[in-house]
Amino acid sequence: MKPLLTALLLVASSAVVASPRTSYLLHCAGCHLPDGRGAPPAVPTLRDTLGQLVQTPQGRDYLVRVPGASQAPISDGELAAVINYTLLEFNRDTLPLQFKPLAEEEVARARPNILADPLMYRRQLWPEY
Amino acid sequence: MTWLVRGLGWLDAQVNTGTRKLARRSSRRGFLGQVSTLVLGAGLLPLLPVSRSFGAEGMEEIGDPQSCDYWRYCALGGSLCTCCGGSVNTCPPGAEPSPITWVGTCRNPADDQDYLISYNDCCGKPFCQRCECHRTERDKPVYFPSKSNDVLWCFGTESRSYHCTVALVLGKAE
Repeated sequence: MKPLLTALLLVASSAVVASPRTSYLLHCAGCHLPDGRGAPPAVPTLRDTLGQLVQTPQGRDYLVRVPGASQAPISDGELAAVINYTLLEFNRDTLPLQFKPLAEEEVARARPNILADPLMYRRQLWPEY
Repeated sequence: MTWLVRGLGWLDAQVNTGTRKLARRSSRRGFLGQVSTLVLGAGLLPLLPVSRSFGAEGMEEIGDPQSCDYWRYCALGGSLCTCCGGSVNTCPPGAEPSPITWVGTCRNPADDQDYLISYNDCCGKPFCQRCECHRTERDKPVYFPSKSNDVLWCFGTESRSYHCTVALVLGKAE
């Protein structure tokens, strides 16, 4: 009975998981706008700028730890999906050839590591931004 | 000095002839009509959809957009632009739509589907006190600012003065 119940629960939970695009529109687009261009300097653009970040572990972690991402009311799997959506939809031309999408486990590991001063951290990690 | 008088006379005659020809070719009504079209057209520009490129309007809808019960307003806290000279997705003339906003989901009773609704504040004019609404479906407290309708969303605009709120459909929540 238990496996059946688990299977039913899995089916039920997967039915309510939003698509990455919907998650993006619901949790990110309010500030970064539906096309990701943001409103610099107050709201950074998400277009054609994130490719270099995914090339280092710190950069990949930053994409997860930035408050707008880490505090979004979605699961680790959904957060991984929406970050990958942002990378592939708005930054495809800047991604490295061997781009590896973020995995749920990677998100789960980085997410609890709170950024106390996100702006200061970004300036150190990514001074050219 | 005579050449100056003669020159001015020639210029006067040219202008006189030109304006008479123009008056014969065009009617005053036509001219006034063109000017009024230009003036009205400029006045209508702020009524254009605030986010035409991202909007997904056009679905079947029922209800009164000037009522707080209208389906798109399920999480709207503020004043309805439909009662203040605007529409459900356009700011009233003279008000500036805030690009920064918050997005929620509401169920459309016409097709029983959930839609993503962007609540954009219209800013730069005094608060319009007609049709104040406070609905809170999926709204979160202000300690969760990105999902709170109590936050003033006049960011990225010239003025922080809140006027009213519009509700744009971004698409189906799927």
